[in-house]
Amino acid sequence: MALKDDPSDTKPPSPEDSGFNVSRRAFLRSVGVTSVAAGVLGGPEADAQTASAARFGPDAVPVTLRVNGRTHRLQIEPRVTLLDALRDRLDQTGLKRVCDRGSCGACTAIVDGRLVYACSTLAIEAQGKEIRTVEGVLEGTVLHPVQQALCDHDGTMCGFCTPGFVMAAVSLLERNPAPTAEQARAALDGNICRCGTYPQVLEAVLHTKGVRRG
Amino acid sequence: MASSRQVPEVAAPVRPDAHPTYPWPLTGASVLGQPVKRVDGPEKVSGRAKYSYDIARPGLLHGRILRSPHAHARITAIDLAAAEKAPGVKAVLAVAEPGKRTMYQGDEVAALAAATEEQARDALRLVKVEYEVLPHVATEALALRPDAPAVFEDGNVREGPAEESGDLAAGFAAAAHTVEETYTTQVQTHVCLETHGCVCEWEGERLTAWVSTQAVHGTREGFAEGLGVPQANVRVITEYMGGGFGSKFGPDVQGIICARLAKLAGAPVKLMLDRKEEHLAGGNRPSSFSKIRAGVAADGTCTAFDAETWGTGGAGVGAGFPLPYIYNFPNRRRRHRDVYTNAGPARAFRAPGHPQGCFATEMLMDELADRIRMDPLQFRLRNLPEEAPNAMWQRYFTIGAEKFGWDKRHPTGDTAPGPIRRGMGCAANRWGGGGRGTRAHVEILPDGGVVVRCGTQDIGTGTRTIVAMVAAETLGLPVEAIRAEIGDSVYPFSGGSGGSTTAAAVTPAIRVTTGKAFDALAARVAPALGVEPAALVASGGRVHVKGDSSKGMSWRDACRRLGTEPVAVDGEWEAGLSASGTSGVQFAEVEVDIETGVTRVTRMLCVQDCGLLIDPLTARSQCYGGIIMGVNWALYEERILDRNTGQMVNPNMEWYLLAGMSDMPRIEVILMNQPERGVIGLGEPPTVSTAAAVANAVANAIGIRIRSLPLSPHQIVSTLMEQARLGGTR
Repeated sequence: MALKDDPSDTKPPSPEDSGFNVSRRAFLRSVGVTSVAAGVLGGPEADAQTASAARFGPDAVPVTLRVNGRTHRLQIEPRVTLLDALRDRLDQTGLKRVCDRGSCGACTAIVDGRLVYACSTLAIEAQGKEIRTVEGVLEGTVLHPVQQALCDHDGTMCGFCTPGFVMAAVSLLERNPAPTAEQARAALDGNICRCGTYPQVLEAVLHTKGVRRG
Repeated sequence: MASSRQVPEVAAPVRPDAHPTYPWPLTGASVLGQPVKRVDGPEKVSGRAKYSYDIARPGLLHGRILRSPHAHARITAIDLAAAEKAPGVKAVLAVAEPGKRTMYQGDEVAALAAATEEQARDALRLVKVEYEVLPHVATEALALRPDAPAVFEDGNVREGPAEESGDLAAGFAAAAHTVEETYTTQVQTHVCLETHGCVCEWEGERLTAWVSTQAVHGTREGFAEGLGVPQANVRVITEYMGGGFGSKFGPDVQGIICARLAKLAGAPVKLMLDRKEEHLAGGNRPSSFSKIRAGVAADGTCTAFDAETWGTGGAGVGAGFPLPYIYNFPNRRRRHRDVYTNAGPARAFRAPGHPQGCFATEMLMDELADRIRMDPLQFRLRNLPEEAPNAMWQRYFTIGAEKFGWDKRHPTGDTAPGPIRRGMGCAANRWGGGGRGTRAHVEILPDGGVVVRCGTQDIGTGTRTIVAMVAAETLGLPVEAIRAEIGDSVYPFSGGSGGSTTAAAVTPAIRVTTGKAFDALAARVAPALGVEPAALVASGGRVHVKGDSSKGMSWRDACRRLGTEPVAVDGEWEAGLSASGTSGVQFAEVEVDIETGVTRVTRMLCVQDCGLLIDPLTARSQCYGGIIMGVNWALYEERILDRNTGQMVNPNMEWYLLAGMSDMPRIEVILMNQPERGVIGLGEPPTVSTAAAVANAVANAIGIRIRSLPLSPHQIVSTLMEQARLGGTR
């Protein structure tokens, strides 16, 4: 497996670097919708779509990911999720695989400023985008204010859901540094905790100070 | 009083005299009882904490298990040839053999390891298994039918021992009213966020396994037994683990499979279950059915209790639970049957049996109170066992009622206009929480460092933190000065973290061993101070003469006198520092929307003791966590099996429901400190009484009692509709 890790590279990658860049929509068209449409509808419109859509895989393809400001070049099958690429190929295991189908939030990442479930995002969809994971939230060796607040309020028990909550909270606080309890609850509703840290997590998020609007 | 005891711990001796040498400092403690932050919090919030699921080793392979899709079948053939040739595959093995029966959906059949997880999944589809599908029983009702297929060799039902005490006929004769109802609870799966599994790596005949387990030593033993290797050749590491709740005590089938695959492949293998496998085969809390007839005298005294109970722990596992729970029934009888079904086997689950017994009994208590038109809380006070250090319910109910505003509870269904109905309920819990047998090793290093090693594990409760706290207290140092090393079977023995035994087993061992280590340090420092070693104490970062901190030296200077030879001391749990037996009560307030059937728990209050309180921060978290798990069980969670196919229809996290942030009640925790009793565990009791309190509150809100969990919108709406159709009240 080709794997390059170049910390000195701080430029965002250009689409040409990775050979292709594909939106989620375009990708879906290329793998599934088009063939159905072509089969059912036929006609010039379907043909035109087929002609313009790229095909990837099933074998490994080069994929370039920009994670926490560093560029990583991978050779992976197109079906590999962003979560598995991070965890199994880049050894960035902060984000967890728990439900593996976008219902628990333990794999929450911030991609181009938006929260995503990394288990339900393909790695190739995330190319050309700025991917932030829990590992990138530390400010040097200093905990991010919300991480510190989680420690102060005992907002972590077994800790397996915690990185997902950190990402959801960071995203919230960068949009809204002083949320109401209602807003904080709504923002954290996509994350499940089994130990039952919700009251402490909420306390922590509401007591977090000093997050700059992102 | 009951003619024989229903609450065994009431009779248990409270802690004997305080420890003769290293008693807890009941006054003037600098660390114990303070809200100390988790020592591993920064690792967890930063994502740096490495769980077993996160372990990567050079050349790591990924293992997967093929499982039976049938509820009950006989394997007639397994063909691994195609899978062996699949890309990336390094090892394949049959777990079951032709002729063997698979007893539930998810029973293990074969396994393999490949270079990537995707390749392992692909290859698994190439394993060809032929099954002869056999008749199955998916539910308790089906298994109990006279014409049910005999699925299990010794029958589908195992009769439990009959329990009888007092004179039942006399008890019912003394009753002014009787209640006869059936209370049921559903199967709940553990849903540990980190699934079961491990990483196994062999070096010759020596195995190192990073396992998501609640027992590193027990798991070492399990590997040795399962693989036929000496225990000395096995090392089990659990630095961090993502929840177990009673379901993770050994290598399990998947651990042994993982080790065998690693051996076959000559490379390390990671094998973690996926979410579906976790629901199917990772354990569960058994169901319960309690058909009870009970009597109450006109003065509000319970007179008689006659119960038939049953439940299923799936394929071949029992479903026992304590009943009646806590309250005195002087004349009682109970017959229990374990019903076997073709479903994943039950395992210990946070306070095994207690939530079930508590639910049935506390529902019944409210019904009996209603019959004699007595406030349910007063009724409970009348029928509780005598007060004892581990039986403080009367006091706690009184404290809780005051704090919760129980006097604002309306006696029967909420008559407020509009669809939202409010109600209150309460329930009590008990637990043991004693522990023993833990050993520890403490080093005091010449540079002032302190290392505490103990083969326990932190399953999320904060064990690592309380280990550091006890050592810090004993040595007069800040918590940060202690390096607490746990979660490895090379460290001195400690038992599994189950039954709320960990705190009571571990903290005395740390107290004794650290105390001995300090004695050893004192012996080497005392001559320089011209005093007897016994005159020295450690406090405020100094080693000094007791009562005179100016006569002494800094901790660092004291340690420097060790030269090149550190203090290294072994010690173990000793009596006098911990005890068993806790009590607690909970109050719930709910809002039920009678148009949609949606219940919200708006407030919970718990009054709970756990002996000597070590860290109020992590103790509070245990109460929060137990209550939230109880709310989940009361309202949301249910393993649903299709009765025709025996398949679980919700083996995921979107249809197996768990509460999220917006579902949280406001929770108030009142911790009752009982320092004179020593340390007692707290993991289990807070989850026992939550569902019972919630269900009683729902009944109080809507004026109709729903006697089975979960209290889903469907169940509430259909009960209300049935009620409207029939008219009147029950």
